[in-house]
Amino acid sequence: MTDLQPILKADDLSKRYEDGILALDHLNLQVQPGEVYCLLGANGAGKTTTINLFLNFIPPTTGTCFINGIDVTKDPLEAKKYVAFVSENVMLYGNFTARQNLDFFAKLGGKTALAKNDYYQVMRRVSLQEKAFDQRVKNFSKGMRQKLGISIAIIKDAPAVLLDEPTAGLDPKAATEFLEIMAELKNEGKAILMSTHDIFRAKEIGDRVGIMKEGRLVMERTRQELQYEDLVKIYIDYMKSEPLSIS
Amino acid sequence: MWKTIVKKELLENILSYRFPLFGLIAMVLIPLGMYVSQLDYAKRVRDYDEQVRLAAESASSLSIQDVMAGTVSIKGFRRPAPLSVYTRGFEGTLPRYYEFTQEGIKPGESSSGEESILSVQGKVDFVFLVQMVLSLIALLFASDVIAGEKEAGTLRAMLSNRVPRDAILSGKVAGGYAALWAPFAGAFLVGLLLLVLRGFPVFGADTPAKILVVFLSSSVFLLAYFTLGTMISASSSKTRTALVAILLIWTFFQLIMPKLSDMVAALVYPVRTETQVSLEKSLLAGSLGMDTARERGRQYDLIFGSAPKGAADDEASPERKRWDAVKAGIEQSAKERKTQQLGAIDETYRQQKRRQQDLAVNLSLISPSAAFARLVADVCGTGELERTKYGEAVQAHARTLDGALFSKVKRTLMIHAGGGTSLGFSAESIDFKALPQFTIAPSSLADVFKANWKSLLSLLFWLVVPFAAAYVRFINYDVR
Repeated sequence: MTDLQPILKADDLSKRYEDGILALDHLNLQVQPGEVYCLLGANGAGKTTTINLFLNFIPPTTGTCFINGIDVTKDPLEAKKYVAFVSENVMLYGNFTARQNLDFFAKLGGKTALAKNDYYQVMRRVSLQEKAFDQRVKNFSKGMRQKLGISIAIIKDAPAVLLDEPTAGLDPKAATEFLEIMAELKNEGKAILMSTHDIFRAKEIGDRVGIMKEGRLVMERTRQELQYEDLVKIYIDYMKSEPLSIS
Repeated sequence: MWKTIVKKELLENILSYRFPLFGLIAMVLIPLGMYVSQLDYAKRVRDYDEQVRLAAESASSLSIQDVMAGTVSIKGFRRPAPLSVYTRGFEGTLPRYYEFTQEGIKPGESSSGEESILSVQGKVDFVFLVQMVLSLIALLFASDVIAGEKEAGTLRAMLSNRVPRDAILSGKVAGGYAALWAPFAGAFLVGLLLLVLRGFPVFGADTPAKILVVFLSSSVFLLAYFTLGTMISASSSKTRTALVAILLIWTFFQLIMPKLSDMVAALVYPVRTETQVSLEKSLLAGSLGMDTARERGRQYDLIFGSAPKGAADDEASPERKRWDAVKAGIEQSAKERKTQQLGAIDETYRQQKRRQQDLAVNLSLISPSAAFARLVADVCGTGELERTKYGEAVQAHARTLDGALFSKVKRTLMIHAGGGTSLGFSAESIDFKALPQFTIAPSSLADVFKANWKSLLSLLFWLVVPFAAAYVRFINYDVR
C-alpha cells in the first residue's frame, strides 16, 4: 500500500487563524488509494481544519496539501476534481427533492450527462427509501440526509473522499449502514480521510488511525498495530495528558 | 457550471414561499396602481380640456377696452403628462395654469389642493411601488443569497466542488434576480395591457420608447438594490444580521437621504419663494411705472408750459414734434430699465434656486432611489426637467403675449409737478381670436438623458460598486 502514490497528502501543514490561535501544527499525513484514514481528537484538535485546508476553504499558514499530486493552494479547482466531501450535518437544499439535490451537486461535480435512473441507482445503493427519492429534503431525518450526502460523494466518483464527523448523531443502524458503504468505497480504491469522535468505528473501518491534540498529530497506528492495542485507552491517555506547549 | 447555479438559484426561489407571495403582491399592486393612476389622469385631462375651452371662449370675448382697463387675464394651462400614470412627480404640485396680465405673471392653483393629507406620503403609483415596496423586496430576496448558504452550510458543499467563486456569486445574483424580475416584468406587462384596454395613448409619438426606458430603469434600479443586498449578505455570516443591516440601509436610502438632501440644500442656500419674487417684481414694476409717469409729466410741462394753446393737439407744431420724440425716448428708456431690473431679479432668483437645487440633487443622488425617481419622473414628463420647461414656456409665452396683446395698447400716465395726473391711450388693432396658444415643448429622451447623466451615473455606481464589494468579500471569505 505504501508503494502507491498518495491521493491525499498533507506536507508540514500549519494553520494559524487571524486571532492568533494555532489550529494546526506541522501536520504530515498521507492517504493511499483504497485506504481509510481516521482522525480522532477532541473538539478543537484540528481535524476539521485539516479537512478545510484540503478543500482550500482556508489558506494554510505554512505547508502544502496535495490531492492526487496537485497542490491545493496553487490549483484549487483542479484539485477539487479529485475529491468528494461529506460533512457532519449534510447540508442540502430543503425545498429540493433528493433527486434535485443529487442532480445539482452531480453537475457541480462535473457529471452533466446523468439520467434520472442513474440518480435512483445511487440512492438505492445507499439504501435510501424509494419513496424519498422525489420528496423534499426538508423533512428528511439526519440518517436520510447522511445517505443522500454519501450519494452525492458516490456520484462524483472522485478518487478521494473527505468525511467530517460523518457518523455523529446517527443511530447505530444508520451508522452501521454508513460504514458498510465506506467499506465498499474503500474496496473501489478510494482514499478516505475521516475525522471522527467515534473511536469504535474508527478502529473498525480505519486502516490507519491518527490522534490529534491541539493541532498536532500525536499518535498514528495501523490496523495491524491496533490488533494488539486498546485504542480507547490510548485515546483517553492522550486526552488526559498535559497540554502541549504550542508557541 | 454557471448555468447550473443560475438554474438552481431560480428553482430554489420559485419553490420557496416568497416567490408566489411576491408574484401576488406585484400582480395586484402594479396593475392596480396603473389603473388608478390612469383614472386620475383621464379626469385631469377632462378638466384640462374643459378649462382650456372656457379660457378660449373668455379670450375671444375680450375687447380693446378690457386691455385699456388693464383687466385682461389670459390663462395658460399645462396639459397633464400622459406618462404621469407611472409617476405623479410634480404633477400635483405644479400650478395647473399661469395667469398672464399686463402687470406680470401669476401662478394658478395646483391640483394638490384637492388631495388628502395622506397623499403627502406619495401617491401609490408605479414608481412609488418600485421605490418603496419592490426595492425592499429586492433586498429581502438578496438577504440570504450568500448568508443563507453560509448559515445552512450548503456553501461548503458547493465550494467543495470545482466551481469558481466568481461563478457562484454571479450565478446566484443572476438566478436570484431573475426570480425577482420575472414577476415584476409580468406585472408591468399586465399593467401596460390594462392601460391599452383603457384607451391610454400608449402608441403615441415617443411614448413606447419612454415606457421602455421606465421599464429598463426600474429593472436596473431593482438590480442595484439586489446587488446591494448581495453585498450585505456576503458580508454577514447570518441571514438575520443581513436583514437588520438591510432594513437600516433601506431606511436611510429610501426615507432619510432624499428628504435630508432637500433640507440641507435649503439650509445651505436659502431661497425666497416664487410668490415673494413675483411680489417684488410687481412692486418694482409699479414703482418704475410711477417714475416714468412723473418724468413724462415733467417733460410735458416743460415743453408745453410756455407753448401756445392747442400746440399739444397740433401734430404739426414744433412742441408736439418735440414731445413725441421725448416721450418715445422716455418710454424706450423705461422699457429698458424695466427689462433690465426685472430681469436681474429673475436671474438672481434663478441662480439661487439652481444652486440650491444642484446641491439637493447632488446630495440626493447618494441614494439610488432618488436617482431612479428623478430619472423616471423626467422620462414621464413630471420631473424637474418638465418644471424647468414649464417655467421657460411661461416666460416665453409672457413675451409673446406682450408683443401680440399687451404692448398693442399704450397707456400714457403722466404725473405733473404742479399736481394732478393725466392718462392717455393709444391702441393698435388686436385679433383676440388669433392670440397665441400656450404650449410647453415636450422633452425628448435625449433631453432626459442629458439632464439626468448624474442619475444614470448614480444607478451605475450602485450597480457596480456593491457587486464589486460583494465579489471581494466572497472571494476572500474563509469557509469554516
